[in-house]
Amino acid sequence: MTAREWKRFASAFLLVMFCSTPVLFAAVGCDLNDPDRDVARLFPGSSGYTTKYFTIKEQGGISLFAKIQDRLGDSFRGLYETIDVPYTVYEVFSGNQKVGYIHGVNEKGRYGGIQVFLVLDLDGVIRNFYFQKLTSRYAKNLRSEEFEKQFIGLSLKDFYRYDVVTGTITADSGVSRIKNPLPEAEEDFRAALRGTKKNLILMDEFVFGNRYLPYFTSRGDRTP
Amino acid sequence: MITIYQVAYKNLLRKRTRSILTVFGIALAAWVLVSLLGFNAGYELSLSRDIDSLGYQILVTAKGCPYEAATLMLKGGTGLRYMPQSIAEQIKKEPEVEDVTPMLMQAVFDPNKGESGGYSAYLGVDPATFPKMKSFLQFKQGGWFTAPDAFEAVLGYEAAELEQREVGDLLLIAEKEVEVKVVGVLKRTGTQDDGTIFLPLKTVQQIFGTDNKLTGLGIKLKKDANLAQFEEKMYQLPDVQVVSLTQVKQTIMTLVSTARVMVFSIAVIAVLISAVGVINTVLMSVMERRQEIGILKALGATAGDIFTLIWLETMLLCAAGGVVGAACAVATSTMTDVFIRRILPYSPSGGLVRINPQLVVLTVIAVIFIGLLSGAYPSWKACRLRPIEAIRSQEE
Repeated sequence: MTAREWKRFASAFLLVMFCSTPVLFAAVGCDLNDPDRDVARLFPGSSGYTTKYFTIKEQGGISLFAKIQDRLGDSFRGLYETIDVPYTVYEVFSGNQKVGYIHGVNEKGRYGGIQVFLVLDLDGVIRNFYFQKLTSRYAKNLRSEEFEKQFIGLSLKDFYRYDVVTGTITADSGVSRIKNPLPEAEEDFRAALRGTKKNLILMDEFVFGNRYLPYFTSRGDRTP
Repeated sequence: MITIYQVAYKNLLRKRTRSILTVFGIALAAWVLVSLLGFNAGYELSLSRDIDSLGYQILVTAKGCPYEAATLMLKGGTGLRYMPQSIAEQIKKEPEVEDVTPMLMQAVFDPNKGESGGYSAYLGVDPATFPKMKSFLQFKQGGWFTAPDAFEAVLGYEAAELEQREVGDLLLIAEKEVEVKVVGVLKRTGTQDDGTIFLPLKTVQQIFGTDNKLTGLGIKLKKDANLAQFEEKMYQLPDVQVVSLTQVKQTIMTLVSTARVMVFSIAVIAVLISAVGVINTVLMSVMERRQEIGILKALGATAGDIFTLIWLETMLLCAAGGVVGAACAVATSTMTDVFIRRILPYSPSGGLVRINPQLVVLTVIAVIFIGLLSGAYPSWKACRLRPIEAIRSQEE
């Protein structure tokens, strides 16, 4: 080994050592409770998965944080929607072939935390929707198969037409077909839609290389 | 003029790969040693901190159920045993007692937690005594309850983060369908309090229909009280279990020390292997340089000069290995912490591996010392070489 090779080796070794040291007391993320079981259930036909971690801080810092909020049409709020929240993306495989992704986000509901998981295909289209945790008086209605089925087939293109602040939807958006099962559940229903839109934007930034960015409109009422 | 140190350094550079591999072996041993010594110091400190952070020295629970958390996990709220609240007044009258704080742990099954549901636990605490005993708790937002029977909650930071709650938000107690208002979010403490949802004791008793019942009683003793004698006195009480937190600490430390002895043995073996590696490397180097050493002696170098030269080479190898190993141990201490947490059945909160500068310096000195011992034989062998024989040996 030449001196230059040794230097390269030593630099790489030290870099790996220092960079792989996890940070204590990081913000809480949103992981599947039992990934082996949950991935197989949420993605029938899959044979395995790998896990990747992202934070807005590492992926683009303050500018990305602002961009994501802009795309969402709402600012991140309170103590917990912070720049250092770790997001876990499960890459799902069938044999050696990647077939999709599973990704969850925490969202604030009326009575407690809501965990919105989306199962996406390789084009970012929702294949399955799952509330891992939902503290609500109306949890039974919102966790029903009928409610969750309404999200299947939608993508970020549809959710851009949904305003998370006012809860209004442009008529030609697929989101308009998602019906609130109970008027009393409005707050949690809107939290679910906000969580879904946030989830899709984060996936577009982290995984899909901003494929849906051309569809972005600040008001959600313009076509690309 | 070139110094003996420079000669030693240049000699090591001549066989660069071998020198680096030897340093790597020493570094590995130093890495393990520093990490283990750091764990030794960190674990005990964290365990003591965890136990001290409870705010009381003795925990009294209903007999047959000393560990609430285990019961909650296995059976939910149904498996809990209770003791009458009157016991708190009875114990408070004891002369050794400074204060007592009654507690009531309750759990509900939340079917909307995960795929098949899960339990949520609530700890009812006395607003008059609990905050006083846990005076180190600080608030990120808000404060303690406004009334002893208020339908209010104070959340540890991680519990608040999981539930995405802030002051003013509502929190639903599943199964009971009762709403409480969040009035406080605690700062992180690095202890079990981070994951706890606190409610006023009376409120928990009311919600769960467990009036005048407790699951635990924390007892803080006066400074001059005899802990052992007081424990004996508590054992006389009917139907209660006394958990001395000092005993808990000792039991855990005994269990951990067994594992620690095994791991230390491995570390000692690692150090011995690296010492043998040093002997081998330096001895090989001496054998390969017999002619050169012979020439040095023929030119006037004394046996002491040769001994010093070889010893210096050994010291450089060991110092480099010790420093690199200690640096790696410091850099990866958090990873080591995570790894140890995965393999230990119980680990306290806070840092498990504490590496301070004294520990690093001490280990590097120890590694150099062991290295110098290892280098003594090859150095002695080198200084004993006869010049003529040494020069001829290469020609043969």
